Amino acid sequence: MDTPLILIPLLGGVAVFMPLLEVIFKGEMRGKFSSHLAVAALLVALAVVIYQPLTSPLELTASSSGLFRNDLMGLFFSLVVLLVALLVATSSLDYMKGRPNEPIYYSLLLFTALGMSLLAFSVDLIMILVAWELMSIPTYVLTGFWKHDAKSNEAALKYFILGALSSGTILYGISLIYGLTGSTNIFQILRASTGIPDSFQSLAILAMLLLVAGLGFKMSLVPFHMWIPDAYEGAPTTISALLSAGTKKAAFVVAIRIFVIALPVLHLDWQLTFAILALITMTLGNIAALTQKTITRLLAYSSIAQAGYILIGLTVALQTELGLIGVLFHVFTHAVMQTTAFLAAALIAKKTGHTDLDSYNGIGARMPVTAFTMTVALLALAGVPPLNGFWSKLVLFTSAIGGDLTWLAVAGVLNSAFSLGYYAWIVKRMYLDEGTSTTHIYEPKPFTIVLMAATIVIVATGIYPAPIYEFARLAVSSLIGAA
Amino acid sequence: MPELAFVALTVLAVTTAIFALESKEVVYGAISLAIMLLSMAGFFILLDAPFVAMFQVIVYVGAVAVLIIFTVMLVREEKWLKVESGMLQRIGVIGGLAVGVAFGLLMLNTTLGSVIASGEAASYAQIGIVMINDYGAALEVLALLLAASLIGALMLARVDGEE
Repeated sequence: MDTPLILIPLLGGVAVFMPLLEVIFKGEMRGKFSSHLAVAALLVALAVVIYQPLTSPLELTASSSGLFRNDLMGLFFSLVVLLVALLVATSSLDYMKGRPNEPIYYSLLLFTALGMSLLAFSVDLIMILVAWELMSIPTYVLTGFWKHDAKSNEAALKYFILGALSSGTILYGISLIYGLTGSTNIFQILRASTGIPDSFQSLAILAMLLLVAGLGFKMSLVPFHMWIPDAYEGAPTTISALLSAGTKKAAFVVAIRIFVIALPVLHLDWQLTFAILALITMTLGNIAALTQKTITRLLAYSSIAQAGYILIGLTVALQTELGLIGVLFHVFTHAVMQTTAFLAAALIAKKTGHTDLDSYNGIGARMPVTAFTMTVALLALAGVPPLNGFWSKLVLFTSAIGGDLTWLAVAGVLNSAFSLGYYAWIVKRMYLDEGTSTTHIYEPKPFTIVLMAATIVIVATGIYPAPIYEFARLAVSSLIGAA
Repeated sequence: MPELAFVALTVLAVTTAIFALESKEVVYGAISLAIMLLSMAGFFILLDAPFVAMFQVIVYVGAVAVLIIFTVMLVREEKWLKVESGMLQRIGVIGGLAVGVAFGLLMLNTTLGSVIASGEAASYAQIGIVMINDYGAALEVLALLLAASLIGALMLARVDGEE
């Protein structure tokens, strides 16, 4: 049986019944039980995703009418997003403790996780749209989860309105593609797209632009990024981690499936668009990050800049295989680093009550584990060797040279060096500057376990990146495979 | 004749949509929203899609619009938040018009007008078979999506008790 078809009843079933715990349990048991159940469900889901390729070789039968394609590409992305969801759920054990509506928080988290992992496997535009909404709608609510916090309300409203608009543009693009090709299945579109008459070419370009705009919203590409800093700042910080490391990655897999498989005839049109978008996204993200005063906004802009790096790989996807390998590699490394950074920020925010950068002064002595993991994550984000961020950026920039876009590679390297400025600045504040207080702060177990585990992944894949690289390479070759 | 109906429906849909947004009295806004949704059903009939038209009427006009009108009447307040129409709004209107004109020009640039619809409207049975057989998984996920929206909406709407 296909992995996505097992995930639907598994995660969906738990998520639907989770709110009942609100009625069944009282007091502390309520949060405890629902969080453990969510973590367990995600662990089982991860096991299901890993189990299939171990026992039976993936059936690379891209049936022409199928909604899902059970390939390594989907596997790779669903592993990444489920891992992020698991890290977020585990650290929420402490972060959400004693807050109202805990079971609903975990229920919505599982719905989002299901939507993201289904997106990874979807090869039908209708399925993509439905999974996209299943991923998005719970995050609108999660962003506004602090009901009595005006900032959280504002963030949710902004995210919701722009999110609805982006879903609308995606739907518009999809309906144009369906009108042009007569199919919603990506592989059938591939076959039909060579037969689009010239007189309809302008409609095809319009469809592509609408899809870039709609997907770019979630991928946080620059002209569509306005909501990101506000949403990340207002949302519970664990949810910021989910948005930045999870939903964004799921948008990239959709972009790969649609732009690389389904619309290659339009290649010349989108390559330059993507190259320019990548350039302005990383440059603007990095420059804006430098001027931020709170950690959540800084990480939000840094996350925008990172999306620019990933887009480099997508730009040269058709010239060199390295492009997509770089995308996958950086999706993985960025997911781990960004989750670590955001979760460390969440812990500090919860314990000190502040998110402004001044409160990070001297935190290194007060919260040693958190500060250490944060430092590793930030250095990895900057691309310092031998951490994993260095290797994935190396692959991305090399692919740009391979795709005859040397200027893009140069811009990427310059941006990367530039970004070290603000990442290292936080590290300096944590260890060298003196804070107002020196008392030790208790670091709860769920958080430290998650942070240490993620840090080990960052260092381990930095020292020995070969397996991930190989996995990414296989996933890319499975993409077209038996089409 | 279809052209005339199309133009009439378009004018109706656009004017009621604008009125729904701009009306000072919320009840009128809700009613004009209902009329807008009804004229959408008219478009679907013109497009030979009676099945979609039927559902548009049942779901949007029958349920959604009525719900909105009831909600407006139940939580009626004298003062509604009014956003001052300033520079930003003017820029928005001009931007929207520009995008609309650009889309229209793109459409005119193609040979879309010469396309002749082929075949007849799909029967209800065909739609049902396709929906269950080919898109069964999507239908399941859609059900989960509705559940998720409902759970989220209930969470946002509920008043948190003190235990």
